[in-house]
Amino acid sequence: MPGSQTKEMIIQRHMANELLQAPILLPVQRAQGQDLSTDQPTMQPDPAIVESAATALEQGQTHYVDVPGVAPLRKALAAYLKDMGLVGYEQANVLVTAGIQECRFLSVQMIGEVVGCVALPEVVHPGARKAAGVRQIDVRFLPVDAGNGMLPRLSGMREALESGCKLLYLESPARLTGMVFDGATVKEIAGMIEELDAVVIWDQGLAPWVHNSRYVSLGAQPGVAERVVVFGEAWPGIGLESWFVGYLAASGDWWEDMRSQKQVISICTSTPSQFAAVKAAEMYGDLHAAQLEELAQGRHKVLELIGRLNAEPLAGVSANLVALRLPDPEQAKVVLREAGFSFADGADFGAPGVLRLSVTADDAIVEALDQMA
Amino acid sequence: MTSKKRGTNLLYSLIAEARGYADAIILGRGDPDFDTPTYINNAAREAMLKHANDYTPLEGILPLRQAIAERVKRVNKIDVDPETEVVVTNGGQEALFLMVMAVIEEGDELLMPEPNYNTYIDALRFAQGVKVGVPTYVEEDFRVDPERMCQAITGRTRAMLLVSPNNPTGSVIAPDDVRELLGIAQENDLMILADEIYDLFIYDDYVHLSPASLPGGKERTLTLNALSKSYAMCGWRIGWIAGQADLIAQVKQLKAAVTGGNSIIAQYAALAALTGPQDAVNEMREAYSRRRRMVLDALDSMGISYGTPQGGQFVFADISFTGMDSVELAQRILAEQHVLVYPGGPFARRRELGDNYLRITFLQPEDRLGEGLERMKLVMDTIPATS
Repeated sequence: MPGSQTKEMIIQRHMANELLQAPILLPVQRAQGQDLSTDQPTMQPDPAIVESAATALEQGQTHYVDVPGVAPLRKALAAYLKDMGLVGYEQANVLVTAGIQECRFLSVQMIGEVVGCVALPEVVHPGARKAAGVRQIDVRFLPVDAGNGMLPRLSGMREALESGCKLLYLESPARLTGMVFDGATVKEIAGMIEELDAVVIWDQGLAPWVHNSRYVSLGAQPGVAERVVVFGEAWPGIGLESWFVGYLAASGDWWEDMRSQKQVISICTSTPSQFAAVKAAEMYGDLHAAQLEELAQGRHKVLELIGRLNAEPLAGVSANLVALRLPDPEQAKVVLREAGFSFADGADFGAPGVLRLSVTADDAIVEALDQMA
Repeated sequence: MTSKKRGTNLLYSLIAEARGYADAIILGRGDPDFDTPTYINNAAREAMLKHANDYTPLEGILPLRQAIAERVKRVNKIDVDPETEVVVTNGGQEALFLMVMAVIEEGDELLMPEPNYNTYIDALRFAQGVKVGVPTYVEEDFRVDPERMCQAITGRTRAMLLVSPNNPTGSVIAPDDVRELLGIAQENDLMILADEIYDLFIYDDYVHLSPASLPGGKERTLTLNALSKSYAMCGWRIGWIAGQADLIAQVKQLKAAVTGGNSIIAQYAALAALTGPQDAVNEMREAYSRRRRMVLDALDSMGISYGTPQGGQFVFADISFTGMDSVELAQRILAEQHVLVYPGGPFARRRELGDNYLRITFLQPEDRLGEGLERMKLVMDTIPATS
């Protein structure tokens, strides 16, 4: 009997879906060599975090838990958001997710379904395009400003909104460059979405790494909580990157739609990850402050070394990464790969010719730059 | 009030309501009362110390996929290449969702024996597919009749869903029927979505057969399973899909778009579960077998008929003689005796297939189960038969 034509048709259909076929960029990319591709820095979790998760298991926390997440974690995340100035989001608005990609998927698909369209930056984490491709919705692309860390321009946002595409997907810090919208721009975006009755999905997962600059979340603007869904990794950098735990915060109707869909795709987030995150919340302040300082110094050193490469660093304020435009990016990729370094390719984000390297606490990135030099 | 909610949301609101009673006995949700066996928890602790930051490929760590491939070969007689033909998922639920999304698109019809696990409807709705319910009947122990399945095929039919043992009925598709269903799928060039999450829980002399184990089966079948039920690991969220590499490659793309990966700790725990001593699984299976008998005896004493569950962890009990809607009766049992059983309504569109039933799980220790059934009987004794 010949092979299944139905199966072939199904495969061809998926292959033709350009959004779904966007590159895969995982939180931790590879096992061997030096991984300079990650969105978030990472370290071995503190023994107290391990103990907390293991103890929860031993006490029987091995069953289904509430779809939105265990209460102590939701409470801690709500407090974290309050500390960032997001006063419009309470514990009841928080949804614990099985990592950052589930945040993208739930927000893009569930809000996109209602709004009917989503406007993505031309340069964006490939996971956003993939999320939009699962069940295709109308996707527009926002032009970006190469001189401003590849962030989308206000004019492009307005144009999308005025043309009827009422859902914006924005990253601040940008996942490729670590650049943020400044306070004045954030205020303008808030005014624009109010004026044009729009909704924003706001990825603020890299916000903890902003240094020498004040981070302003769109969710912290007065009166926008009904229109802004925020998400990010839970306690990034503390060693839970491979444990897959993230958060979403949204107002009632959006939250309920996403909660309901999370139930359909994963029921709840893995319990050891959640209980580890509860403990991580208690320790985050101290551990993160030291880590941020270390990375900021590392990034400063990297920027000094970049001059040797005839490379152009893209504007960014996140201590955990540096994005470079190189005169011969293909050659640089070959050199890095041969030397055992992994990196994030800007082409995967929509910015060919750019490489993103994670800043690490050790000298791995310096070694990578030496190789390229 | 929960009565206006439907489907999965209704069931979740009943769970929330039950939590309000300190003495509640839960015979509704499919969450085993057993905690995860200690050796698995110990493996998780070790993984937290040794592998916390490990890279995890999208499809899961290779040792786990190898263990899954070995298990699928041993239990299901399906040959799969762990490198290319297995994807680890966030529990059976994500596997279910990805499987539906992989095969169904807008307007495609999926043949689903009714009653069926309610969240298939949610996944199908998301995919904008069309459910074509194929009835199964209590008088036939909810047998999936190949002839009825065949009659339901149209030009838009893309796949058939085979859940065996079935949730909520506990029916196991007989080997001859599996062969016939595969033949129908081949003749009509349909895909098969096989949900085998309860395949370790088969009772009496019934036999489970995986369609993908048959000649010509694997190329058109995606098979899902999970550790939630068999190893009491509901909270960990580890399941898998096995299938031929070409289609699995597309499942991976979907997985990358939906959740992007699985907890490294849960994966190492799953590896320990599959490769460690299986005594705990055997003990759980024996316990479920005893409890199943308890539920059937109790239903007999209440004069309630049922399809004999040949596998799984629940009984689908016929309450049509009460003349009551299943939601109304479940809420009454919960309100009066603080026993949660699931109404059958969310499991089937047609009243005679769903709303005339209650799903009763046997996922409580025997003393609790016995007490729950006694309390349920107190309510049933007050309800006169209308037919």
